[in-house]
Amino acid sequence: MELLILNGIVNGLIVGGVYALVGVSLTLLYGVLRVVNFAHGEFVIAGSFFAYVLFTSLNVPPLLALPVAAVAFFAAGWGLYYVLIPRLSRSDDPELMSFLMFYGVSITAAALMLLLFEADSRSIDYSFTPISVQVGPIYVSTARLVALTITVAISAALALFLFRTLPGKALRAAIMNPEAIQIVGVDIVRLSAFAFALATALAGVTGVLVALVFPAFNAFSGTEYTIIAFIVVVLGGLGNPVGALLAGVIFGLAEQMATVFLPQAMAQIVGFAILVGTIFLRPSGLLGTSARK
Amino acid sequence: MTASSRAQDSADRIYFTLVALIGGALMIYFASVPVLGLNVAFHFYLMLWITMASAFNVSSGFSGYLPFGYVAFYGIGAFTTAILVKKAAFPVFLALPFSGVAGLVLALLFAPTLRLSGIYFGIVSLALAGICRLVITNMPEEITGGSFGLQLGSRAHPVQSFYVMMAVMVVALGTILWLSRSRLGKALRATRDDADAAEMMGVNVPRVRLYGWMLAAFFPAVCGGVEAWYTNVVDTETAFNTLITAKTVIYAVAGGLGTVTGPILGAVAMVWLDELIWRQFPLLNLLILGVATVALVLFLPRGIVGSILRRKPQWRRFVP
Repeated sequence: MELLILNGIVNGLIVGGVYALVGVSLTLLYGVLRVVNFAHGEFVIAGSFFAYVLFTSLNVPPLLALPVAAVAFFAAGWGLYYVLIPRLSRSDDPELMSFLMFYGVSITAAALMLLLFEADSRSIDYSFTPISVQVGPIYVSTARLVALTITVAISAALALFLFRTLPGKALRAAIMNPEAIQIVGVDIVRLSAFAFALATALAGVTGVLVALVFPAFNAFSGTEYTIIAFIVVVLGGLGNPVGALLAGVIFGLAEQMATVFLPQAMAQIVGFAILVGTIFLRPSGLLGTSARK
Repeated sequence: MTASSRAQDSADRIYFTLVALIGGALMIYFASVPVLGLNVAFHFYLMLWITMASAFNVSSGFSGYLPFGYVAFYGIGAFTTAILVKKAAFPVFLALPFSGVAGLVLALLFAPTLRLSGIYFGIVSLALAGICRLVITNMPEEITGGSFGLQLGSRAHPVQSFYVMMAVMVVALGTILWLSRSRLGKALRATRDDADAAEMMGVNVPRVRLYGWMLAAFFPAVCGGVEAWYTNVVDTETAFNTLITAKTVIYAVAGGLGTVTGPILGAVAMVWLDELIWRQFPLLNLLILGVATVALVLFLPRGIVGSILRRKPQWRRFVP
């Protein structure tokens, strides 16, 4: 039993790291642009397929695919921003309409991946040597440990960026008060495009990690990750990047522990229950102090 | 009689003439489909989507909520009919009203979510639909049939279920037509636009919202039941498919939320388009649905009827 719990904690931290990244990119996007990206999970899975294609056709190992994915997805996000968002902001209720629009983007992305890769589940047939490492009394796959290291590194880099650099501070300022930041002379359109590109790049990178951590993915896995991202974002407080990182780890632990203690069916409901519970009991999230309606 | 009330009277006359013409044409057309040997399946689903989109309109157009887990009501309705018919040996006609009741009960269970607004409501609704699907998936196999679902056996009767679907559609459209001119409908719209102001005017906001919500939940549940009877099989994968929510939302938005004719026109246009695309490029169906949604939000956010009314606001009095 102790072994199971220990296993749950280690896996919870690893999975939670991935969830934290999924959540932090979505929360940045919401915070700066006030759009709800329903297609976020599809962007993540697109990252997994990106790594899959690089590995199977060009023999690029997943670790090398990380920076390539970051650059490619950053560019794609930048372009997508200018196609979608400027027109969207002209509608009556941009925040709610964004939900609907990205619903369409999500269907489009899933359909494209279905056309390109068919409905079969894919996995990257790549393994590190040794395949697993002994951590205390339990064995953990090397790929998962590598993924954990990378998530920690990315999170640290992101925190440094947000709190120590000027563009990062501008992003946080835009989340707090989008009107005031324009008075100070920040080009909000360029900053928003940057936020969209950054969030998309993070989603792509997370997708590569998903391919390392989870056994398989397919064209329709995106919705799962979108729901997970919503849970993490709401738990951490809408538009709060630090909260999202923390909430991701907490949710990862909760989910893995639930699979240890509860029957598998119940474990799936835990996530939804956390989401509904948070919105009703603590709508501003774990770290939130003041509730935004 | 003052001039303004006379103008109101003549506006009303045009309005009711339009209602009678559109309603009559729809009824005669659909009633003659099986008689003339037209495509029963196509028209069955056309009526189903008209009903779904119109009922969704009560929640989103009249009350201002966007339930992204709308499929929950449909799925519950489908399973209620299937379980009652299969396990309790109910005749189908007796089971269908229970589907509606199940939808109402679920609406009451979800009623606390009505105090949320905007995206919070949408996200919670999505999560609750997920919970419904998981709960039904994990119920004992003797009740819900597990992953194989429930087969209703030899009870299928396409033409009968076609006319039942038509009756459901007519009742739904009649209810919404009544709602759009009733005190309740006006109270709903007032609450949607400004809940505080509506409350000051004496509207019982929570009660009005609940009534709107229950109306929006009843019809998809009955639709689910009728569709279960029509296809003769129910399983969690199809009955709780998120595409059902997607299509409902897209059809309603395409026509224009907040008017009675909007969702009808939207459903007719999009189901027809969907069928055309499906026949030409079966593989691209999903892709085109997605692209169409994005294009709708970007270029026609108010829908067909909504955009026309924005150009010609003076028509607002005549158009149902």
